[in-house]
Amino acid sequence: MERSNSKEQLRPGLWHTVNDRYPGSMITKDDLVPLARLKRPLAESRLTFVSTAGVQPRQTLPFDTVHPVGDYTFRPVPSNSKPADLEIHQLKYPTAGAERDVNVIFPIERLQELASERIIVGLTKNFFSFIGYNMDAERLEKTLAEDIAEAVEAEKPDVALLAPA
Amino acid sequence: MSLSYLKKAVEENDREKLIRYVRLHFGDGIENVGEQEIDKAWIEALKLLLDVPPTDREFIETTIAQKDASTLAHLFFRLHFYFVARSGEWVHDGKI
Repeated sequence: MERSNSKEQLRPGLWHTVNDRYPGSMITKDDLVPLARLKRPLAESRLTFVSTAGVQPRQTLPFDTVHPVGDYTFRPVPSNSKPADLEIHQLKYPTAGAERDVNVIFPIERLQELASERIIVGLTKNFFSFIGYNMDAERLEKTLAEDIAEAVEAEKPDVALLAPA
Repeated sequence: MSLSYLKKAVEENDREKLIRYVRLHFGDGIENVGEQEIDKAWIEALKLLLDVPPTDREFIETTIAQKDASTLAHLFFRLHFYFVARSGEWVHDGKI
């Protein structure tokens, strides 16, 4: 089993492969955004969740997985949703496992358990979901990321869990 | 491929780079799979017309006349996946 705490890259050469297959896809940033430190203990913190899994409430407009440049919208996902309330629209990762149990990619029930067990004080009303296939890094940063940040801030979380798909 | 890479390819009329991207997009990162997927979509569309069934040409012509080119381009990509799905051979990991 691969050690998740290893400081070594788990799949060395991966980025070289990506660059071969998608020339010009490498995005580098020189500026550093430091991680925010917790301002209060976890047990007193309200948690939000931001995911690129393409999970969304049923009956909402499906994420645009066919657009060649990506989808720069997000969906609020009520944090009290049940798995049956949710569906996945995401072309670029295997969704079969998540179709059986959405928690493997969008651990909504695990987070609800953390709240009910008082390990955290609670959850924001909504979580936030989008798809990670976006070719326009500038648009991603200046619109989608800003839009999500604004929506997250409006719910006043103390801690945010970010999870790529 | 980044958007700037693709826009530069458009400026330079580098058709190879552009069609390669389309194939990669349709083939989930595997160029020859994308090529096969494009063929698959066209074959599926062709099969549906061989018996010359009645079709809504008014809808087609009205849509083309009334909708902007960007929307039609988006529809074009969407139709690709529609016909691929209809073929019953879905090679993608996820779903639309």
